[in-house]
Amino acid sequence: MEEKTWNEEAKRPSAFKRAGRAVLRFFKKNEYIFSKIGFSLLTLALTTIFLFFLLRQIPGDIVDIYAQQLQYSRGLPYERAYELAVQLLNYNPNENIFAAFFRYVGGLLRGELGESYLQEGVSANLLIEQRLPWTLFISSVALFISFFLGVAIGGYVAQRRNGIANKIASGYIAVTGAIPDYLMALLMVTLFAYQLKIFPSQNNFDIFTVTPGFNIDFILNVLYHAALPILSSAIIQTGYWIMQMRGSCIGILGSDYIFSARARGLSERTIRKKYMNKNALLPLVASFGVAFGGLFGGSVLLESIFNYPGIGLEITARITSKDYVVVQGLVFFSAAMIIIVNLIVDLIYPLIDPRVKRG
Amino acid sequence: MTENIVTIRNVSIDYPLRKYTLRAVTNLSMDIKRGKITALVGESGSGKTTLSSSLIRCISEPGKVAEGEIVFYDTTDEGEKEIRVNELSEKEIRQFRWAKISMVFQAAQSALNPVMTVRQQLYETMTEHGLTLSKEQMEERCKELLGYVQLDSERVLNSYPHELSGGMKQRVMIAFALLLDPQLVILDEPTTALDVITQSYIFQLLKKINEEKHISMLLMTHDISVVARFADYIGVMYGGRLMEYGTVDEVFEKRRHPYTEGLIGATPSIIGDIGQMKPIEGSPPNLLDMPSGCVFHPRCPYCQEACMQEEPQTYQLQGGATCKCHLRRE
Amino acid sequence: MEKTKNKSAFLTKTLEIFKKIGRGIKIFFTKMYSNKKSAIGFSIILLYVIVAIVGPLLFPYDSTVNTANKYLAPSLEHPFGTDWMGLDVFRQVISGTSSVLQVAFFTAFLSIALGTVLGILSGYVGGWVDRVIMTIVNIFLSVPSFPVYLMMAALFTIETPITMALMISIFSWAGLCRAIRVQVISLKESDFIQICRVMNMSTGHIIFKEIMPNLFSYIAVNFVLILRGSILASVGIMLVGLASYNPTDWGVIIQAARMRGLMNVNNVIIMLYPLVAILIFQIAALMLSQGLDETINPRLKVL
Repeated sequence: MEEKTWNEEAKRPSAFKRAGRAVLRFFKKNEYIFSKIGFSLLTLALTTIFLFFLLRQIPGDIVDIYAQQLQYSRGLPYERAYELAVQLLNYNPNENIFAAFFRYVGGLLRGELGESYLQEGVSANLLIEQRLPWTLFISSVALFISFFLGVAIGGYVAQRRNGIANKIASGYIAVTGAIPDYLMALLMVTLFAYQLKIFPSQNNFDIFTVTPGFNIDFILNVLYHAALPILSSAIIQTGYWIMQMRGSCIGILGSDYIFSARARGLSERTIRKKYMNKNALLPLVASFGVAFGGLFGGSVLLESIFNYPGIGLEITARITSKDYVVVQGLVFFSAAMIIIVNLIVDLIYPLIDPRVKRG
Repeated sequence: MTENIVTIRNVSIDYPLRKYTLRAVTNLSMDIKRGKITALVGESGSGKTTLSSSLIRCISEPGKVAEGEIVFYDTTDEGEKEIRVNELSEKEIRQFRWAKISMVFQAAQSALNPVMTVRQQLYETMTEHGLTLSKEQMEERCKELLGYVQLDSERVLNSYPHELSGGMKQRVMIAFALLLDPQLVILDEPTTALDVITQSYIFQLLKKINEEKHISMLLMTHDISVVARFADYIGVMYGGRLMEYGTVDEVFEKRRHPYTEGLIGATPSIIGDIGQMKPIEGSPPNLLDMPSGCVFHPRCPYCQEACMQEEPQTYQLQGGATCKCHLRRE
Repeated sequence: MEKTKNKSAFLTKTLEIFKKIGRGIKIFFTKMYSNKKSAIGFSIILLYVIVAIVGPLLFPYDSTVNTANKYLAPSLEHPFGTDWMGLDVFRQVISGTSSVLQVAFFTAFLSIALGTVLGILSGYVGGWVDRVIMTIVNIFLSVPSFPVYLMMAALFTIETPITMALMISIFSWAGLCRAIRVQVISLKESDFIQICRVMNMSTGHIIFKEIMPNLFSYIAVNFVLILRGSILASVGIMLVGLASYNPTDWGVIIQAARMRGLMNVNNVIIMLYPLVAILIFQIAALMLSQGLDETINPRLKVL
């Protein structure tokens, strides 16, 4: 497209202007997409500034600490080590705030989220690479289980509002709504791991008895270790999804098109599937997407209560050991993922809901 | 062929609520004439919509017909058949709905599923009714109907409901109502949300359908002027009861019931002079706390002693008209 | 003579004001007590507040370590038993109540103030003000709050309930602000506000006399919800071992018991007291907010 514009410009002088207008029209036509992308970028940029200022609150000269460490481990003179430290940490305390900010953003743009100044060779990137699969494993399984259970139960009780099932569901929603997930986790780990000792109280698998890889022993061991975290998080979340689905369905069931579908002689099955579920699920799909975006940061307390080596446990461990640059990298990563996933949800939503206009 | 297409006999419709039961329609009898347009007028809450949805047994939860009988006289090529609506099984009633009696809804604006195209919903209704038509035949049928209501079928079929204007949606709903060749179409305030020009256009269209396709119609409205122009018969409802019934000419001319008189008096277009227009005093009755005797007596200018104590019978008058008022005792 | 006259005038005036406030409170309470859920929820929260104020006076907390008394079973003297240092658990929980509630109420007041002011501003003024505020709100809604709390708790010293509340408020106002904005926008479009505008009433009058009263019930519900959220956040932060400024705060008690080892049943029991206290508060707050919601929007009751 760029080339074509240039060619035309050579032929006719007004071509450039017309190309500009075409570009403008292109933007206008896809206004929805571009405004969403622009807004996400802005949010990301402001998040970066926020984290940068938080980073500057780190007490002591972290570059100095790191330089000293490099000096010993690599046998460099202090000046060389200091330079290397500045480069690795993307931070130079001697620079003014703007230069420091651009250095920081430069690092993020290169994909370097943050180097540990306490442990050589450890970075946020490395930790994400190692821990993210485990975090995503337990949290996404819990999310999927609770979402599908919640949708099924919520849809069921919405149609039988006078039944006993609805009363039980209401009670379940109230109880799980009042208990925070980490206290549930604490109760579960106390009962099943520490007291009854049926489930492990730490780690993602037993390194002494199984070898990682695609073998049945390993998979079973992983599931055994993941069972409690998944269960406690799913128990709480299911209540939330039941509530959302039931509310959404009740709203739909009272609508005119359900009445008219019945008057048209459609079967209850069709009404349930094509009319109630399809319409009731639309807002839930959006919340599901948003919830999914939140998974990338890991559930900090849940993982630390179960000592499950995911991103959340890493965040608590690194905070306790004052490894703030890495923590900042992990937080930035999860914020970025939330923003990106939200953007994807916004962009996909018009495809599933014809009412939301796109472009 | 029977003269009536539907007979309603002594029908009462209840809404059992948690603490009390709400009776929306009380002991109502009425005929709907075949091939004619019968209008049902009354204020909101008078039970019009409840009564009409009972014809296809589609009263909104938890309402149900407590007493009485609704009979539909089905005429097909094979002959005539009486269908007792309340005795049909779940499966039979589903087949009965829309194929025999269809409906144009008050809320046409939201009567279509927002996440399906018009085409999908039309096809779905045909297949759910066990019609074994090919894709082409269904397409043909839809195009014919949409053409009949003067819509651009190509565009409309592939549209989602929100992409159509209010008037277009209403015409889609009319075409939709004709989809399975019903014998009776219920029109529940079909023009409420539309502007005046579209309103009269829609009524002309409906009149045309009635005349060309000989489809009987039950029109619910609170617009008396519409009734005067389009309907053949009229039933006046108040507080869940049928107050007066007869041909439009007779009811409008004789005004036997004080409520009918009030309704007509409150309509400016009939009187012609706004100075003569006078609204009916008072407010519609509370269904939970009905007045004793005649339900209309607190607002009736001719209220007598008997009206307060005793509910009037329905008096049969000449020409098949009925009137539920003590004044017509003789 | 002059003085007494002044005094009596002052007294009658204050009495009048108190009467007015009293009437307002009475209306609020009769409304609230008409709903079973909000009545129960409010009573429980009131009980917590009373315990927080009166409790420490009746059962003062004594922090002298006495290892000879460790892990005593519950008795009249120690209703909840004692911990590993021989300290009375009941008195710890009582003393922690005020610490927990202070954080919760400070957070709720701060967030409500910030969220309401910015929400009204954003919704009523609109335009670029709206866009700027909404962008800021969006940041706070998309940055995961809990890890940032932890980072801040580690980087800044948090030693009082107020600093803790300040920190939690940084995130908790955003959701409320967005919700208030939506309310204000819908109110702004409503007929009676349009009429006020046509009648050329001042903006201040419209906001304070017409819009604010309509938001009041909405704010009350959110106040309770933020109470819940802030207790969760503060206890969560303490569970990581940060901000343990008060050894009797429930979060700190739970964390200490956890660190002592949950293999030991004694520690589990010690942990359960504050945990149950939190759960009861959560349930009460949930009931109160739902009850208030029902009395405000009666159509919800049908569900």
